[in-house]
This record gives sequence, structure tokens and C-alpha cells, in this order.
Amino acid sequence: MTRQAFMARLREGLRGLPPQSVADIVADYEAHFTDGEAAGRTEAEVAAALGDPDRLAREIRAESTVARWREERSPSSAAAAVFAVLGLGAIDILILLPILMGVAGAIIGLAVAAIVCFFAGAFVFAAGPFMDPPGGAVTAILAGIGIMAGSASGGALLTIVSIGLMNALVWYGRLHYRLLKPALEPQA
Amino acid sequence: MPEPIEIQLKKGALELCVLALLSKHDSYAYEIAARLADAIGMGEGTIYPLMRRLQSDGLVETYLVESTTGPPRKYYRLSDAGKQNFTSQQAAWKSFSGAVESILGGAQ
Repeated sequence: MTRQAFMARLREGLRGLPPQSVADIVADYEAHFTDGEAAGRTEAEVAAALGDPDRLAREIRAESTVARWREERSPSSAAAAVFAVLGLGAIDILILLPILMGVAGAIIGLAVAAIVCFFAGAFVFAAGPFMDPPGGAVTAILAGIGIMAGSASGGALLTIVSIGLMNALVWYGRLHYRLLKPALEPQA
Repeated sequence: MPEPIEIQLKKGALELCVLALLSKHDSYAYEIAARLADAIGMGEGTIYPLMRRLQSDGLVETYLVESTTGPPRKYYRLSDAGKQNFTSQQAAWKSFSGAVESILGGAQ
């Protein structure tokens, strides 16, 4: 592979990352080619020693999305990290995907339930006293507050659990990085 | 397909070796890759994702040095956290490899 072809495939693989990071990464590999040629190696030799540019791009992407997930705990950064880690092929997708989807479905279901409970509590709190509830108006107000507090703490607990699950998945994916694969399985 | 344990061993060792090289003197990626590629048989390209991870974990820092040939060169040095991390990893590795070695030696 020529230097140009290697860099083109690497750039292609990195598309979608922030332009500044792409520029940094590309500069690293350009410097590697320059140093390699200064040391008397051909472009093809350097490219072969570097390994598959598509795989390198996937590893770099996974690394950067995981870093973003650490900085910013949002559903979109979580999804990006999950897909990038899955994209490494580190986890057997066919086995894990149904489980992941089940877990994600359960979490979403519980989150919806928590939100609904919260609004039900608000309704009991606001409208209950006027509907002649058993036990009187004060009971209805207190029950409403209780339901809202319960669902809010349930929601908070759910958030903690999903962040924990996410971290476990990222940890697992990293553990199985095939960072050294080119060395162990020579490139075709 | 290589055994996962071999990947894990090499992966752990690679990071430790990079920290060890940097603990002796600051270096740039091509030099690190060239030394480690021969020594432990890794793909040279894998050094860059690793260096980025070490950097994002705060174990190494970079600075630019003007070069006589071509653009400025990016050097890596260990941060204080990196030095601490290296010391503890080194101790862990020595006690682990010592224990494995004594058992392997006794099995012959």
C-alpha cells in the first residue's frame, strides 16, 4: 500500500470525529511515514508495519467516543460509545446484541414508569384534596408527595444503575481490544 | 485465532514497556514503535491508539521539539501520575512474573 492510499483509508475511517482530532491523528501517521522513510524504509514497508488502517481507525474512534462518554454522561455519548466498542468486533455481537437490547428495553421501560408515577403523584397531590379522598385532603397531599418522591428516587437509582452498566460494557470492550492483533495475526 | 490470554498478556506488557521507555527518557512515537516492534512483536500502528489512550488517561504529556528535517516532532514524557502508575505497575509485574516463573521453573 502506498502512503497516499494508507492515509486516504485512515481519513475515511476517522470521518465524523472532531476535525481537530482527525488532524492530530493524521499528523501522527504522516510523521511516522516521514520518519520511516528517513530511516531508509519504503512506503510499502512502513504501511505494512503499521497494520490495517481501517482497524486502526476503528480503535481510535472507540477510544475517542469512550473518552467523550467519560466527560459527558448523555444518552447520545453512551450510544456512540456502545456502537464504537461493538464496532471493534471485540464482543460477539450476535450473542450480546439481544441481551443488550433486552437490558436497554427494560431500562427505558422503567424510566417511563418512573416518569408516569411521578406525574400520577403530582396529580394525587394537586387534584386529590378536591375529590373527597378517603382519609381527608391532608392524606391525599402527603400521598402525592410520597409517590413523587418515590418515583424520583427510583429514577435516580435507575440512572446510577445504567451508568454502572455502561461503564461495565466499556471496560469489557477495552479488555478485549484487539490492539495487538496485527502482531499476532499477520496482515494478509 | 490467538488465545485471548496471549493478547491480554501482550497488551498489558505493551503499556508497561511504553511507560518504562518513557521513564528512562522522553521519546517520540516512531522511536517507541521501532524499539517495541522488534522487542515484543507488535504492529507499529498500534502505538498511536495506545499513546492517545495514555494521554487521555493523563499518564503522558506531549511537547513539540523543532526538527532539522521536516516539521516539529511530538515528544512524549511521563506525567507525575504516569510515574506513579509506572512504579506501581512495575512492582505488580515483578511480583507476578516472579511467582509465575518460580512455578514454571518447578514444573520442568
